[in-house]
Amino acid sequence: MVKRILIGFAALVALGVLGFALLAWRPALDPIDPPAAASFPPELTARGEVLAAGGYCATCHTQKGGKPYAGGYGLPTPFGVIYSTNITPDPDTGIGRWSEAAFARAMHEGVARDGSHLFPAFPFDHFTKLSGDDLEALYAYFMTRAPVKAAPRRNTVPFPFNVRALQAGWKLLFFKKGTYEPDAAKSVEWNRGAYLAEGLSHCGACHTPRNLLGAEKAGDAYGGAIVEGWIAPALTDANPAPVSWAQNELFSYLMSGTSVLHGTAAGSMSEVVHDGLAKLPRSDVNAIAVYFADIDSSSTRMAGFEATVAKAVASSGLGSRQDYGADAHLYLAACGSCHYNRGAMPVAVRPELALNSALTLPEPTNFVKVVLSGIGLKDGMSGVMMPGFAHALSDSDIGRLAAYLRRTRTDLPAWTDLDAKVTAIRKEAAGSQ
Amino acid sequence: MGSVLKPPGHRVPSPLSRRSFLIGAAGTGIVLGFMRPGLAAVDALSTPPDQLFEPTVWYSIGRDGSVTVNIAKAEMGQHIGTALARIVADELEADWERVQLAYVDTDPKWGYMVTGGSWSVSHSFMPLSQAGAAGRIALIEEGAKLLGADREACSARNGMVSAGDQSIAYGDIVARGDLRRVYSADELKQMPIKQPADRRLIGHDTSAIDIPSKTDGSARYGLDAEVEGMIYARPKIPPTRNGSKVLSIDDQAAKTVKGYISSIALEDPSDTVPGWVMVFADSVTAAIRAADKVTVQWQAGDTANVSEQDILDHGGAQIADPKGGSLLVNDDGLEPAFAAAKTTLEQTYTTSSMLHFQLEPVNGLAFEKDGVFEIHTGNQWQSLILPVLAKALGVGQDKIIMRTYLIGGGFGRRLNGDYAVPVALATKAVGKPVKMVCTRADDARFDSFRSPSIQTLRMAFGEGGRVTAMDHHAAAGWPTGVMAPSSMPKGVNGVPYDPFSISGADHWYTVGAQRVRALSNDLANRAFRPGWLRSVGPGWTNWAVESFMDEAAHAAGIDAVAFRLGLLDGTGRNAGTAPFSVGGARRQAAVLKRVAERGGWGSAMPKDTGLGIATTFGQERDMPTWVACVARVRVNRGNGVVTLEKLSLVVDAGSIVHPDGALAQVEGAALWGASMALHEGTEFVKGQVKDTNLDTYTPLRMGDVPEMDIELVESAEMPTGLGEPATTVVGPAIANAIFAAVGARLRHLPMRPPAVLQALSSKS
Amino acid sequence: MTTFQVNGRTVAVDVAPDTPLLWVLRDEIGLKGTKFGCGIGMCGACTVHVEGRAIRSCITPLDAVAGATVTTIEGLDPDGQHPLQKAWIKTQAPQCGYCQSGQIMQAASMLKDFPDPTDRDIDAVMGGSLCRCMAYIRIRKAIKIAAAEMRGDASNG
Ligand code: FES
Ligand code: FES
Repeated sequence: MVKRILIGFAALVALGVLGFALLAWRPALDPIDPPAAASFPPELTARGEVLAAGGYCATCHTQKGGKPYAGGYGLPTPFGVIYSTNITPDPDTGIGRWSEAAFARAMHEGVARDGSHLFPAFPFDHFTKLSGDDLEALYAYFMTRAPVKAAPRRNTVPFPFNVRALQAGWKLLFFKKGTYEPDAAKSVEWNRGAYLAEGLSHCGACHTPRNLLGAEKAGDAYGGAIVEGWIAPALTDANPAPVSWAQNELFSYLMSGTSVLHGTAAGSMSEVVHDGLAKLPRSDVNAIAVYFADIDSSSTRMAGFEATVAKAVASSGLGSRQDYGADAHLYLAACGSCHYNRGAMPVAVRPELALNSALTLPEPTNFVKVVLSGIGLKDGMSGVMMPGFAHALSDSDIGRLAAYLRRTRTDLPAWTDLDAKVTAIRKEAAGSQ
Repeated sequence: MGSVLKPPGHRVPSPLSRRSFLIGAAGTGIVLGFMRPGLAAVDALSTPPDQLFEPTVWYSIGRDGSVTVNIAKAEMGQHIGTALARIVADELEADWERVQLAYVDTDPKWGYMVTGGSWSVSHSFMPLSQAGAAGRIALIEEGAKLLGADREACSARNGMVSAGDQSIAYGDIVARGDLRRVYSADELKQMPIKQPADRRLIGHDTSAIDIPSKTDGSARYGLDAEVEGMIYARPKIPPTRNGSKVLSIDDQAAKTVKGYISSIALEDPSDTVPGWVMVFADSVTAAIRAADKVTVQWQAGDTANVSEQDILDHGGAQIADPKGGSLLVNDDGLEPAFAAAKTTLEQTYTTSSMLHFQLEPVNGLAFEKDGVFEIHTGNQWQSLILPVLAKALGVGQDKIIMRTYLIGGGFGRRLNGDYAVPVALATKAVGKPVKMVCTRADDARFDSFRSPSIQTLRMAFGEGGRVTAMDHHAAAGWPTGVMAPSSMPKGVNGVPYDPFSISGADHWYTVGAQRVRALSNDLANRAFRPGWLRSVGPGWTNWAVESFMDEAAHAAGIDAVAFRLGLLDGTGRNAGTAPFSVGGARRQAAVLKRVAERGGWGSAMPKDTGLGIATTFGQERDMPTWVACVARVRVNRGNGVVTLEKLSLVVDAGSIVHPDGALAQVEGAALWGASMALHEGTEFVKGQVKDTNLDTYTPLRMGDVPEMDIELVESAEMPTGLGEPATTVVGPAIANAIFAAVGARLRHLPMRPPAVLQALSSKS
Repeated sequence: MTTFQVNGRTVAVDVAPDTPLLWVLRDEIGLKGTKFGCGIGMCGACTVHVEGRAIRSCITPLDAVAGATVTTIEGLDPDGQHPLQKAWIKTQAPQCGYCQSGQIMQAASMLKDFPDPTDRDIDAVMGGSLCRCMAYIRIRKAIKIAAAEMRGDASNG
């Protein structure tokens, strides 16, 4: 998700520092006395709670083992680590002295109460789309949390990248302020989905590729990107899943973490589903599904999907009967027991690999990551787990598995340099633990 | 004499170690909550010995009527205990429902302890039958007294002695009668046994006694052994099997592993495990992880650079040299027959290294108590390893007891008890009970695998394809030569040979002047420890003989079945002798004819599909099990994949004690043959086997099983073995079928797709 | 301390959270019926159920089952009379028996997804369970017998 989005700072230097101050300057807003929790109507707070989940606020504003929303989560960037801030209502170390206006300015403009610019690690470029009502609810929610005294940790970003004023230049180039404007040509549901996807749930933060300065590429919304070492696939019609993502499958995936025709949410997408979207009303999740089903034009691409599914399921038993290439044997023994399917449709709890975009993406990254680390009981599909093979299979074994499945389960060109890629992914995964 | 011994395999372990506890349960209920009782044999422990009737060491009868048969054989899937108990119970007229098994320790009273070569039933048949008969006679005598009936009027059946309409149960006779009798060995030998037609258990299907415990998790294997206060150990296996020395051990990194204790180099006066380092920890996981982090510098033995091809080349050179080796058969007139031959045929066959890969990696538990070392592990040949253990520990054999557990797959691996040595040394070194657990890779690297082999066969033909002479030279590592040299018989030239590495070459075909020469590949013997692996030598000798017979039939232009039948005439040394090989080659001819019928020999086949035939006598000429097999294969010319469609087998193993169990053994053995023919095999590379786990070692699995048609010939002859013979026919039958299907001749085992493709492209 | 359910009881174990479940079951809890064959997830000897589905316990770290429900061969049926266990005895399937706990647990899980398994289903799903004694013919037969019994039970009940 947004945790480790690379933030480009480098070119900011080129923008020049002098003469910038004026552009960059924002006033501090007056501190307030922390409002009493009782001053917020419970319905408002409750609505805020749902919104906070849908925006995954806790994911970034809570450090491992730390108190919720107390910040301190470190986001590594090429320039150093940026730590998330304490957004509990603690008056000294949190946002207890922030007025609602200060909170709204931060969300809409990326400016802190004291007037300093926030780094775009905080996705204000999405939150700017949120309605005033929703901001009010979020404010109510955060101001009624238990205050936690936790001083912000110092970022390790060196000069000059730590000059917050420079962020103003970044905003000038890439940031468009403004709440969501409904598209009158689309349905209410579609617009609700778009509002959530582009604003609160900031899907583009992961699924839209970024430019050198770390800003989402304007012309390539949802074109797919690399996040935390995973490939966040394109959500447009460039999505490489063998069966395109129709609205009902999207809905099921976003609600439960799994889709019979596609597979299981892994990596940070699992958190998005289980810690985030799961808390939204079904109608909201469905609205997001409606929106993306339109973006990926699945309605025009679903033709003949039954044949694709039938072919996939027919290939499911490959390797199991006197097909004794060494690679087939490896697949059969290590994977087949859980992934084999038969019939018109795969069994939901047996993810069908021939339908999984892990095999159809241009790179084996996601496939390798799942094989190495598995999928936990609480991730992906609830109650169904896959153990990781990091300590069981060698890089060359995993490379052989990847090559075998790509060869026998897709018509796509072979992945290249597999062993080296597995080695690199394993190393990266080990390093990030 | 003796009392019922506690079967070590069935100790109920404490359910929770010090690091865990249960919530919501307390007291002994916990134990019961987790564990169901083990085999029924445990119950026998509660019966005091003085209330038992124990006419021989082989069984006892309790007051409750239960019959406990002492099993001095290793149970590894052949249900040997059931088979032996059935022999006793049949003569004893026991109630089969009340029969239980007790696996014994290594007390000398059990005699020479070995389980292998499919001899168990065969060798035990007479003694156990006679022991059962003795008991029955005593029970009838005593029962008659208690019933006040005439002895002649009494008969025994189903655990009861009856006379007219009155009867008394065996248990009551034990409780009330005076059964004290001692039979001398000679008396027992004279004891008459039943006629085959009177048998009630032998030859009839009954459930194996050990099976229920193997379906509910209660069966106890070596891996399950535990004792209070034990620590765990995992070895660091040196670069060469022989001659490695530890130079230094660096365990700095291992100290970061929680639970790590220490690492020591083993001092081994028996030289069984030179260069071994043991890594100790308080759990299996910690031992495994710590061992990965311990760095050992070794001085490797002088075979550190030896690889598979070096061994085969060495064997080839031995064969090319007319001197050396042991001659099993050396008929006069061999060279003249070749000189006079109209045509001759010569071919060379090779086989790869094969791992045992028994599913339970080798392990062991050892501790010292009151000056006696106890070693708990699954083992097939206690009498072989006891002297080695005595030497390693520097104590007398009377100071060592081995307790044998169920074996999670033997296939010959546990004939070689070498894994007991490091465990014993480790416990001696640390002064604590030690449980050694090898990982799968440790097990593979320490395996005494089946040696690669090379064989050259020659045949001389006279007029009309008549065979006038045959010559067979086989070179391989010799397990018996390495591990039990004193037990090797001598060839006709006075040179000892390993029967396990040549048996099969001395076949029952009448081929004119014959020579069989066995060569011990000393490079193999030094570079690793060759092992006995299911059927051992017959796995390669028959592969060569039966492939060669097919080639010879072709060369002679005669149908492969007719050609063989012509040679299986049962004349001369192939006539057979009592007790085991009555009928000789004619019984082999019979199974061959029968399988040809069953397997559809001669029928038209679809494209690229072929039938191949092979026949062998199983293991040894002394105790032949006559086997024949037809394999049907389909060959994919595009990728070289051979699909084994069907195996038909006919087996004559004399009288069958347990038909269904026999069938299971033949099924398993035939599939082993198929696995070694098509699926598995490794390579020795620079002092170690290349494949150490299932990611690259690929034994046959469920989907690879062909259609199977098996017939066990009905026979009243002495029973012979069943565990291995079927292994020996399948490989050559498949090779011959591949030839029939696509005309490609494969002379190396295993026959993998690349080799098939190569043979296809090189055939002219 | 990691807590989970095993065979209907709650157990808490104090070992490193990355300890494979296999060794926790065997050596900490004393359930020896689950076996160790390869340690890399490719032989099936260590198969147990987690939340009712077959899992290779040798590559499943303890913390992955925190709070979850685990069933081993000892807990498949309180009396060892699961239809699969009965069929295993009926067909005299086990040889050495070492693989059979895993085979039965894998088969039990398979029958939930494929109550009427074809040969192909059995080949594919059971292909991960190595039987080195090669008792495959009887295992296949036993699965079919048990499946038939279980379907019968379902339709009668
Ligand atoms: S021991 Fe777990 S799959 Fe082999
Ligand atoms: S019964 Fe021995 S491994 Fe299956």
